[in-house]
Amino acid sequence: MVKKFIQKLYIALLFLFLYAPIAVLIVLSFNKSKSRAKWGGFTLNWYKELFANEQIMNALYTTLVLALVSALIATIIGTAASIAMNSMKRTPRTILMGITNIPMLNADIVTGISLMLIFVAIHYTLGFTSVLIAHITFNIPYVILSVMPKLKQTNKNTYEAALDLGASHFYAFRKVILPDIFPGIMSGFLLAFTMSLDDFVITHFTKGPGINTLSTKIYTEVRKGIKPEMYALSTLLFLSVLTLLILINRAPKEETAKKNKKQRIHNESKRNYSFLKPVIAVVAISALIIGSLVGMNSTSGGDTLNVYNWGEYIDPDVITMFEQETGIKVVYDEFEMNEEMFPKVETGAVKYDVVCPSDYMVQRMIDADLLSELNYDNIPNIKYIGKDYLQSAESFDPGNKYFVPYCWGTVGILYNKTMVDEPIDSWGAIFDEKYKNNILMINSVRDALGIALKYLGYSLNSTNKEELKEATQLLIDQKPLVQSYVVDQVRDSMIGNNAAIGIIYSGEAIYTQRENSDLVYVVPKEGSNIWIDGWVIPKNSEHKENAEKFINFLCRPDIALLNFEYITYSTPNTAAKEMIEDDDIRNSKVAFPDSSIISNCETFQYLGDEMTAYYDEKWREVMSQ
Amino acid sequence: MNKLIDLQNITKAYGDNIVLDDLNLYIKENEFLTLLGPSGCGKTTTLRIIGGFENPDQGNVIFDGKNITKLPPNQRQLNTVFQKYALFTHMSIAENIAFGLKIKKKSKSYIDDKIKYALKLVNLDGYENRKPDSLSGGQQQRIAIARAIVNEPKVLLLDEPLGALDLKLRQDMQYELIRLKNELGITFIYVTHDQEEALTMSDTIVVMNQGYIQQIGTPEDIYNEPKNAFVADFIGESNIIAGTMVEDKLVNILGTNFACVDVGFGKNKPVDVVIRPEDIDLVAPEQGTITGRVTSLIFKGVHYEMEVMANGHEWLVHSTDLSPVGAEVGIHVDPFDIQIMNKPESDDEEAVILDE
Repeated sequence: MVKKFIQKLYIALLFLFLYAPIAVLIVLSFNKSKSRAKWGGFTLNWYKELFANEQIMNALYTTLVLALVSALIATIIGTAASIAMNSMKRTPRTILMGITNIPMLNADIVTGISLMLIFVAIHYTLGFTSVLIAHITFNIPYVILSVMPKLKQTNKNTYEAALDLGASHFYAFRKVILPDIFPGIMSGFLLAFTMSLDDFVITHFTKGPGINTLSTKIYTEVRKGIKPEMYALSTLLFLSVLTLLILINRAPKEETAKKNKKQRIHNESKRNYSFLKPVIAVVAISALIIGSLVGMNSTSGGDTLNVYNWGEYIDPDVITMFEQETGIKVVYDEFEMNEEMFPKVETGAVKYDVVCPSDYMVQRMIDADLLSELNYDNIPNIKYIGKDYLQSAESFDPGNKYFVPYCWGTVGILYNKTMVDEPIDSWGAIFDEKYKNNILMINSVRDALGIALKYLGYSLNSTNKEELKEATQLLIDQKPLVQSYVVDQVRDSMIGNNAAIGIIYSGEAIYTQRENSDLVYVVPKEGSNIWIDGWVIPKNSEHKENAEKFINFLCRPDIALLNFEYITYSTPNTAAKEMIEDDDIRNSKVAFPDSSIISNCETFQYLGDEMTAYYDEKWREVMSQ
Repeated sequence: MNKLIDLQNITKAYGDNIVLDDLNLYIKENEFLTLLGPSGCGKTTTLRIIGGFENPDQGNVIFDGKNITKLPPNQRQLNTVFQKYALFTHMSIAENIAFGLKIKKKSKSYIDDKIKYALKLVNLDGYENRKPDSLSGGQQQRIAIARAIVNEPKVLLLDEPLGALDLKLRQDMQYELIRLKNELGITFIYVTHDQEEALTMSDTIVVMNQGYIQQIGTPEDIYNEPKNAFVADFIGESNIIAGTMVEDKLVNILGTNFACVDVGFGKNKPVDVVIRPEDIDLVAPEQGTITGRVTSLIFKGVHYEMEVMANGHEWLVHSTDLSPVGAEVGIHVDPFDIQIMNKPESDDEEAVILDE
């Protein structure tokens, strides 16, 4: 009895672990409140918005076409390969089987990077076709895996019998072998389809600008916070993959059942598949046609501009307006981290024309000689950018040769005024015993150590190891006070009144204050990090003039205003700031702090590989204590 | 008599393993010919070369006067019945039988007639819409035969078609096949390792071993006058004893002279002597050519199987009369029941090269 109960409990726990996260996701997709911490009532709005969002629908379309076409081609190639391997002698067959299994066992990231390197090496422009080729590549083994056993089961004599009765090789294959292995081919196709639908890593490395699948689209949204539409989308994705898996698993089940209750179930399964056949054929052909069309569309020709920007970091209307005004076609691609963007530009896998890195990364790109100097004759609108910001930018781009500021912000403390005794104005608060278990510390090397360094009165770009040791000790001492180390979750926790103090970027602060009016944002008096993102033109750009036109367009006050309203991060465009209608926002000390506060702040600088490693080591020391 | 199929100097090897070595064989029209031998003797390879599923390394296959050595199976006027039936499991019985006819673009009414006729021929009327999986092994094999014969081949190749069936069914099917062959009036080439099957059905038996033909002959020839020890041993049970041909019609076996009918071996020539166990008569000691003692006795149903120790040799005896263990008996063999064979002079000669 007890044993049975424990068994059941164990299974229940197992399922809970496996499915609880997905369950949460699904529940959240129906949550009226934007916060992840609060239940605001049931709604289907996110699904509505999802289907109204053109970008997501494009990504969905690409995903489906990609999955269908790649699965189809992989099925054809894989089936042909299986047949060839099956008729081989034992040793070469075993060797070949081993080789085909490697892509399955190999880490996705290795497959992805190697594929990208190949494309770069043969100067193949990354685009839809490169992703397609990549997907076909990793799908083939799955097809072989499911066709091969079926092929082994078939009686070799049946093929010979067909030949004996006068059939040509092709006719014998079509009439005799194909029906026998069709269930295997079907499940191979579905498996390939699912794998393709599911893939992120390989797609990420092999896709070109303007191509997004659902998974890469979701990924680029991460920085600005995942929007509830994405929960809805993920829910749909999960459900469709689940359906496919059930379909795949049904086929082999029928096979085993067949052995016991031969004729009846057997006949049914055959009938099922034969009914599917014309459907598959139609879908396949249309997918191929659509696939080739998509492929053609993505090949950039004529007057184009390859933009590489953070996810959700521009008002989509702005792109449309730019295209209409200039006739230049924008191919838009997104990244989520500076470190992810850097190698793509460095290898030249895609020749981007204009990229939006952050301060320290600009410095690194200048050091690596990746950037092209701007011709300000083509960017007259630079006059609308505040002098302060250009001056700040000089710390990483001396002489403002390469970089035009786009968005900026500070890192500060967000606190709930109902949960603290007096207004906070110092980093001291997060090291204060009385807020024990009410502090959300930022889980990021440079930010965390930077805060400690600033509190101790040092530079947040310090390379002095004594200062860093001191800062490390401060953070270790702080550990017992911290409720948790977070990055994105800080927003929701603070909105949900789960903590008194958190560390947050100014751009996010405005959003949280809108959701919870008790929250206050402050840049501590000791100073903090000020970050600036902006536009640069890579050396390997093929449309430099278009890129400058684009930068100039973004500096136009009305456009900068549109972007500010969309992104909500502070704009360095002073003319745009004056055009903000809402007084509260225009005068907001969060969005536009006094210059006295800014003057205390520093931008991050790239400290070189050795110092970066030292910072990482110190942070590990903190986290492992 | 017409040579319908003529295999000329066929050699086939897989890697180092020579399966057929310079094989020559012809098959007459309307003959039931059986290739008989242990596994690995090359009989199936021979059949597959005739069917076109294997190409010989050397030699020619002549069919009806034409060289078809390089012709693919789908262009040969013969059909094969495979050991494991090889029915198309996703098709109905009717579709299976119609397979070859559809390829030949026969009219629907012709095909329907043929299906009916073929099913009747194999005693499976009304099975048109069944699926192969719902049939017993014997029924499946009949369908395989029906599927082959509707194409009106000149030759039907059968590759151990009864191998997967149980004993009773196998015996029934043997008679069925003989009947079929007589009704169809075509040539059957049959492969088996079962000597009883071969003896029951064949007009001609080809005994093969290690890629060589050992003997070709009617079942009676093969059984009664095996050309060598292998054939004698493989076909039924035998006493094979080393002996010496003293002169024509007299052979010395284990020190005793026996009268026989064989001539032309020369004088004092070492030979192998074959005596079938059922040809040995156990008589009273004084009436026997030699005497011995019964050492074992097993009841086999039709007969008793006894072993008799005489002149230092264990004689295998089949008899309906019982002699108890320990009894002293005389051994008598009629002269025409003694079969004399040349001793092989070398390993190679173990294979009798035939060129009749």
